[in-house]
Amino acid sequence: MTQDKKKSPEKNVAWVKEPQLGMSGKSYLLLFLQGLTTTLRHLFSRKKTVESPDQRHEIPDSLIYRGVHRLNRDEQGRVKCVACFLCATACPAHCIDIVAAESPWPDREKYPQTFTIDELRCIFCGMCEEACPVDAIELTSLYDLSGKSREEMVFDKEKLLSVYDLTKDQEPPRTKRSGGTTSNPKPPTK
Amino acid sequence: MLLPLIEPLLKIALLIGALMTAAAYLVLVERWIAAWVQDRLGPNRVGIPLTKIRLFGLGQPIADGVKFLFKAEFTPAHVDKMLFFVAPLTIFIAAIAAFAVIPFGSVIPADLFPASWGITQPISLVVAPGLDVGIVYVFALGSIAVYGVVLGGWASNNKYSFLGGLRSSAQLISYELPLGLGILGVVLVTGSLRLDAIIQHQAQTGLWNVFTQPLGFVVFCVAAFAEAARLPFDLPEAEQELVGGYHTEYSGIKLMMYMVAEFLHMVTAAFLIVILFLGGWHFWGLSGAGDLITWPVALLRVVVLLAKVMAVILFFMLARWSWPRFRYDQLMGIGWKVMIPWGLVNFVVVATWLEYGGSLTGLLGWSMESSLAIVGVTALLLCWLVITVIDPTAVGNRPRPTKRVGK
Repeated sequence: MTQDKKKSPEKNVAWVKEPQLGMSGKSYLLLFLQGLTTTLRHLFSRKKTVESPDQRHEIPDSLIYRGVHRLNRDEQGRVKCVACFLCATACPAHCIDIVAAESPWPDREKYPQTFTIDELRCIFCGMCEEACPVDAIELTSLYDLSGKSREEMVFDKEKLLSVYDLTKDQEPPRTKRSGGTTSNPKPPTK
Repeated sequence: MLLPLIEPLLKIALLIGALMTAAAYLVLVERWIAAWVQDRLGPNRVGIPLTKIRLFGLGQPIADGVKFLFKAEFTPAHVDKMLFFVAPLTIFIAAIAAFAVIPFGSVIPADLFPASWGITQPISLVVAPGLDVGIVYVFALGSIAVYGVVLGGWASNNKYSFLGGLRSSAQLISYELPLGLGILGVVLVTGSLRLDAIIQHQAQTGLWNVFTQPLGFVVFCVAAFAEAARLPFDLPEAEQELVGGYHTEYSGIKLMMYMVAEFLHMVTAAFLIVILFLGGWHFWGLSGAGDLITWPVALLRVVVLLAKVMAVILFFMLARWSWPRFRYDQLMGIGWKVMIPWGLVNFVVVATWLEYGGSLTGLLGWSMESSLAIVGVTALLLCWLVITVIDPTAVGNRPRPTKRVGK
């Protein structure tokens, strides 16, 4: 028995017989017609192309989409960030660079003097958003960011705040941290 | 005095201009069909240059052509320089020259021209009218096109090109036999090798060869697909296996020559299928059958012929997305074990009918052509049934469990 096992290396290999073609398959005629009807059906069917940039892609739920970052503002228009470095620590691509400074406002100790994100290094994983304790950094549903140089793609604080100004009306802040980025149980219905 | 010279030159200029434009626009049509079959929209942006008018993407061929012309034409260091240069020229010239005997209409009546021009005979719409070898000439140039593929693959000195060249030499040579067998029946019935005579014969009987010799039609169509290296027989340049096949190393204008030649092969194949089997310019109740015609009928014949050719080309393009590529042994099996026997059967059936069919049809009171049609359809069904039962292309080359040594 042991010897037998040694000599047949295919002990655990199950051999499956290939399915046999019937008469209609062998004649190739039905398969021929089947192929032709399939292509003809698709030839006249509705096209699925989105004609970007004339049309925008439809994003099913903008609350869980991971696009360009933004830095949120609070009610007084100040940057929400408290320069705790949690996002920079969490970032697997090391694309967030923060320089902290003494806060000019009484409600927090620090604030970000500069806050830059290298969008070319970012992998859009959303871990900065999850890590942020004050909901300051968020990802938006803007998917088509482009620039003419590498320098242009390094977004500084003003640029990130302007993204917030651009998107705040369409996308309200992604609210409380109860399980990462998918915090909203019900996406707003259209 | 100059007229005999001017006439063919005019026709050549017209034909080459039309063919180049057609090749460019067929690329666009091919891309459209490919896109539509895949539920996409296809090229629809490029319109009139330097404006924003889109015109459904009809400017795309101009953009493609300009791109090809201005691309770097790179010749790798490891190629055989001379053959590398000659190969695309060979295939390109052969593809164009084949059109010399292919009629793109019937005739232009002589009374269309002013009497002072001295034209008394109707001008036939072929570059070389009255060439008696006709179809043989097309086949000879088709065989020269094989050299373009084989030399290109060899000169490139690259394993993928070489494999593509090898495959295509085997495939193209194998499928020349059924291609020749397919037309034998047509030539026998017509009694001429001239393409215009073949059309004339079909127009006079009113029964196209596709009805009288369906077996020959199937054989010729399959062989024409294989000769044009279109899917499902595009093994010479199977992108998924061989990068680009025999033209992997080519770029710029030489690559464009290969591409244009490929499309011209498809156009030639479509023309031949239409002329040999689908009645050429003939359509019941539209075109008439005689040679003495008025100019609206002459125009109508050109339109009918080109419409038929376009329909066949569209079928070529649809077929590309309908059926998967054959495995190499299946390709050879279909060529040698199915198509050649079918072609022989068709040849024998037509020859026998020509010899003995007359007395038989006289007995039953049918016309000659309709009796051949009945015989032909029966032969097709029988042949198809026999092939289905025998299934000669099935091969037992799948991996099996190895025999145990210890027993």
